[in-house]
Amino acid sequence: MNLLEISDLHVSYDGIKAVKGIDLSLASGEIVALIGANGAGKTTTLKAICGIVRARSGKILFEGEDIGVLPPHGLASRGIALVPEGRGLFGRSSVEENLEMGAYSRSDTEIAHDLEKIYTLFPRLKERRKQAAGTLSGGEQQMASLGRALMSRPRLLFLDEPSMGLAPIMVQKIFETIRSLEGMTILLVEQNAKIALSMSQRGYVMESGKITLAGASGALLENPLVRAAYLG
Amino acid sequence: MDIFLQQLINGIVLGSIYSLVALGYTLVYGIMGLINFAHGDIVMVGAMVAFTVIHLLSGSGLPMFLIAGIGILAAILVCMAVGYLIEKVAYRPLRGAPRLAPLITAIGVSMLLQNLAMMIWGRGYLSFPALLPAISIPVAGAGISAVQILIVCASAAMMSGLSFLVKKTKLGNAMRATAQNREVATLMGVNANAIISITFIIGSALAAVAGVMVSAYYGVAHYDMGFILGLKAFTAAVLGGIGNIEGAMLGGLLLGIIESMGAGYLGAITGGVMGSNY
Ligand SMILES: Nc1ncnc2c1ncn2[C@@H]1O[C@H](COP(=O)(O)OP(=O)(O)OP(=O)(O)O)[C@@H](O)[C@H]1O
Ligand SMILES: [Mg+2]
Repeated sequence: MNLLEISDLHVSYDGIKAVKGIDLSLASGEIVALIGANGAGKTTTLKAICGIVRARSGKILFEGEDIGVLPPHGLASRGIALVPEGRGLFGRSSVEENLEMGAYSRSDTEIAHDLEKIYTLFPRLKERRKQAAGTLSGGEQQMASLGRALMSRPRLLFLDEPSMGLAPIMVQKIFETIRSLEGMTILLVEQNAKIALSMSQRGYVMESGKITLAGASGALLENPLVRAAYLG
Repeated sequence: MDIFLQQLINGIVLGSIYSLVALGYTLVYGIMGLINFAHGDIVMVGAMVAFTVIHLLSGSGLPMFLIAGIGILAAILVCMAVGYLIEKVAYRPLRGAPRLAPLITAIGVSMLLQNLAMMIWGRGYLSFPALLPAISIPVAGAGISAVQILIVCASAAMMSGLSFLVKKTKLGNAMRATAQNREVATLMGVNANAIISITFIIGSALAAVAGVMVSAYYGVAHYDMGFILGLKAFTAAVLGGIGNIEGAMLGGLLLGIIESMGAGYLGAITGGVMGSNY
């Protein structure tokens, strides 16, 4: 059974169709890339899966459970986390408070331990733990947002354009971290098709609300259509 | 008598009541960007409920401090329930509506509460019983009464408690997160509706206490006492930067002191414009 199984997902904003019937699946432990141009509907797809956008139809199964009918605050405790587009940090709260919010749905005793793990992964965040998150640099904010998502101990992680607006060296650092998250199932949304396809096993290409291509990432990297449109 | 010191003391007392009420405006605004114009009337409901309970128990032979305590507790519980219901019935259905809609609704709820109170408690001024003996401690040419001391101490305690809750607890972290980005907070597992309900309940509890304080201080309660008091507290919240908790506390104090100084020094000139309305 796939960890996540989406079939015939439609989403619209005030009657305007943004996602027009897509099928998408993730097997446990897979990293899957979702690439596409601006406005293709990638963010909308993630928001619909997470229940933030409610105007939708189709089936969204997580471990066989229909999560489309759950209230959106019920997903975190099931092991689903999102690093939102633009990071979505709580800018006036401190870095540490942001990380603690990531563990909001947990009630176990290992939260403090996981916080230290995040600080080991990103020592920069530890230095700035008391600083307001909104005052971090773009790269630090991306680390904080990723760290916050990891604090929920997700089994399924959505990343919405983690490379956006970052210097190449920071992009590298973020993707190294993502690659090191062994065993986690990840759906990686990216404009940067090259890096997304090079670190994923499979990929989907989205165009104006539809999946137009899908397959092994290696094959997509070689595909002339993909090369022309996204790797030019 | 030292007018300056006396008016300063009076101003701090008045200001701590304004601060408590201002916190209700600021908390709700911070979380949902709504100015809850019915908040002042919750203060009135608190005063009225306490009045009724204290009145009913006054012949029971219980000691006064116990009667007052029961009255305040009843006021807090009723106001929490009223605040919760107002949010649920009047504001929740308007989530996502243009901002003008909940604002107009708030004014409607305010009128509703005032008219209900008028039906229940009548149009007249109710004389609120003295909760503490009328003793006054002399301080360098001025005086400070037992009620004043109690008001200032209770306000300070409640405000410290609120600060601790908002700044240091998991619930407070979630409240601030929800205020900043409701969508993302929801993704972290926060039930935003529950947080909003809790915010109304906390604000209403503070309002209830403020209502009892203001009535005990002036010795009267009236069905539209919440209107002016609410406006002043709202002003205090804006003065402190609406949405900002410390700002509301300071704004309330500042407004109380300014008003008190105005009443002390300019009373004859302003004829009540700057003085208290009681
Ligand atoms: N809140 C909204 N209200 C109305 N239309 C929206 C809203 N959000 C997105 N859209 C529209 O839906 C379509 C898909 O947008 P979406 O943000 O999902 O694209 P995307 O693939 O994530 O693009 P990008 O790569 O630029 O982030 C776009 O045409 C966009 O204008
Ligand atoms: Mg997007």
